[in-house]
Amino acid sequence: MIELREVSLKYGDKEILKNVSLTVRDNTIKAILGPSGVGKSTILKLMLGLIKPNNGQVIIDGTDITNMKESSLYSIRRKMGMVFQGNALFDSLTISQNLGFFLRENMKLPEDEISRRVTEQIQFAGLEGYEDQLPESLSGGMRRRVAIGRALIFKPHMILFDEPTAGLDPVSSKKILSLISSLRHNNNLGAVIVTHIIDDVFNVADCVAVLYQGEIIFDDVTEKLHEAQHPFIRSILSDKILEQ
Amino acid sequence: MLLTFARNQEKAIAVWLKNFILTMQEFFLFSVRAFISFPKVKRYWRDVLDQASICGTDSIPIVLVSAISIGSLLAIEVGNLLEDFGAKTMLGRSTSLTVIRELGPLLMGLMLSARFGSRNGAELGAMQISEQIDALRAFGTDPVAKLVMPRLVAALIMFLPLTALSDYAGLQSAAYMAEHYHRLDPGIFWNAVYPRLAPKDFVVGFLKAPVFAIIITLVSSFNGFSARGGTAGVGRSTIKGIVVSSGLVLIANFYVSKIVLENM
Repeated sequence: MIELREVSLKYGDKEILKNVSLTVRDNTIKAILGPSGVGKSTILKLMLGLIKPNNGQVIIDGTDITNMKESSLYSIRRKMGMVFQGNALFDSLTISQNLGFFLRENMKLPEDEISRRVTEQIQFAGLEGYEDQLPESLSGGMRRRVAIGRALIFKPHMILFDEPTAGLDPVSSKKILSLISSLRHNNNLGAVIVTHIIDDVFNVADCVAVLYQGEIIFDDVTEKLHEAQHPFIRSILSDKILEQ
Repeated sequence: MLLTFARNQEKAIAVWLKNFILTMQEFFLFSVRAFISFPKVKRYWRDVLDQASICGTDSIPIVLVSAISIGSLLAIEVGNLLEDFGAKTMLGRSTSLTVIRELGPLLMGLMLSARFGSRNGAELGAMQISEQIDALRAFGTDPVAKLVMPRLVAALIMFLPLTALSDYAGLQSAAYMAEHYHRLDPGIFWNAVYPRLAPKDFVVGFLKAPVFAIIITLVSSFNGFSARGGTAGVGRSTIKGIVVSSGLVLIANFYVSKIVLENM
C-alpha cells in the first residue's frame, strides 16, 4: 500500500503540491487525473523516493521513506515498477537486453532464469521476433509495451504508469489499456496511473484522485466522479461528453 | 530609480551567489558519491573497459596530433631563439622540460576535455533528459556507480599512459625538427635531454594526469546529470562541462607545477 500524508512540494517559489494526501491500496488501480503540468508525474516520483517532499510523509507498505537514504530506498523501489512517460528505455541496448538489464544488475539470478523471465515478458508484450531490435526501430506502442515488460520483470506488487497512452494512436492506446487491465486480473497487481485523458480513467481505474492547482479535489471510486460538483471536474466531464 | 536598480542588482547577485553555493555543494556530494562507489569497480569492470577504450585507445590519434604539432613548433621557435644566443645545443634541454612538465600533459588534458568530456556531457545529458537516469534509480541501480565511477576509474588509468605517449611524441617530433630544421646532431639533442631531467620533472608531468582525469570526468558527468530543458539543455550542459573543465585544467596545471616545483 502507498500512502502520501499531507505532502507539500515547492520548486523554487512555485508551489507544486499543497497538502496532498492519497492512499493506493494493493490490488487496485488508482488513477491520478489532472491537466498537464499540474504535478501528477511528481507524485509518482515522490512515491518512488526519487524526489523528497518539503513537508509530509510518503509511506510504502508501512515504511516511512520520506527521509530515507538513497541506498536504503533501492529495496523499497523494487516493490514497485515504473513506466515512464517517454519509456526511458536504454537506447543502446536491444529489447531483450533492456528487459533483462535490471535483473542482471540487481538480482543474483542464474542466467537461464533471467532468459526465462525475459522470454515471458516478450510473450506477454506480444513482441516475439523483436528481441534483438533496438528501441528506436519499434513503434511508440511497442516501446511502451517493452517499458511495461521491464517494469513487470521484477514481479513488483505495484506498478506506476506515467501517462501510459499519451502520444499513442487509438489502437495502441487500447492495447496498452487492455494490458494494464489484464495485469490486475492475471498478476494480482496494483497500479497507479497518472493521466490527463479521462477515457483512460473510466476504462481501467477502480478509483480516481483529481489533482487541480496542486490540491486533490476529488478522491473516490471512479463511478462517483460523475456526481462531483467541483467546476473543474464538471468542465472535464462535459468536455468528455462533447468528445463523445 | 538608481536606488531601485542597485537593489535589483544586489538581489540578482545574492540569487546568483546562492545558486553557485548550492551547485558547489551538489558537485561536492556528487564527487564524494563517485569516489565511495570505487569498491563496486569489480561489478562494473565491463563498463570500465568500455570507458577505457573510449578515453584511452580512441583518444590516441588526437593526443598524437596535438603532441607532434606542439613538439615540432616548440623546437622550431625555441631553436631560432637559442641560435641568436649561440646556445642551440640547449634545445633538447629546453624543449624536454617544457614538453614533459607542461605542454605534454596540458595539451593532452585540453584535448581529452574536449573529446572525453564532451562525450560524457552529451551522453549523460541525453540520458537525463530521456529519464534513463531516473529509470536506473527507480529500478534500484545507483546511477553514479553505474555511469560515473567507471568513467572516473578508466580516466585515472588511461590518462597516465596517454601523458607518457604525449611526452614521447612531443619529444620525438622536437628531435626530428632539431635534426632536420636546425641541423642539430641527434646525439647533442638527446644528450641535453636525458642526463638533465630530474625526478621532479616527471613528478610534475605525471601528477597532472590523475588531477586532470578527476576534473574532466567529474565536471563533465556532473553537467550531464544536471541537464534540463530538452535537447537545447543537453547542448548547454555539454558546453558548460567543456568550458569549466578546460578552465580548471589550465588552473590545476599551474598549481600542480607551482606546488611540486616549490616543494621538491
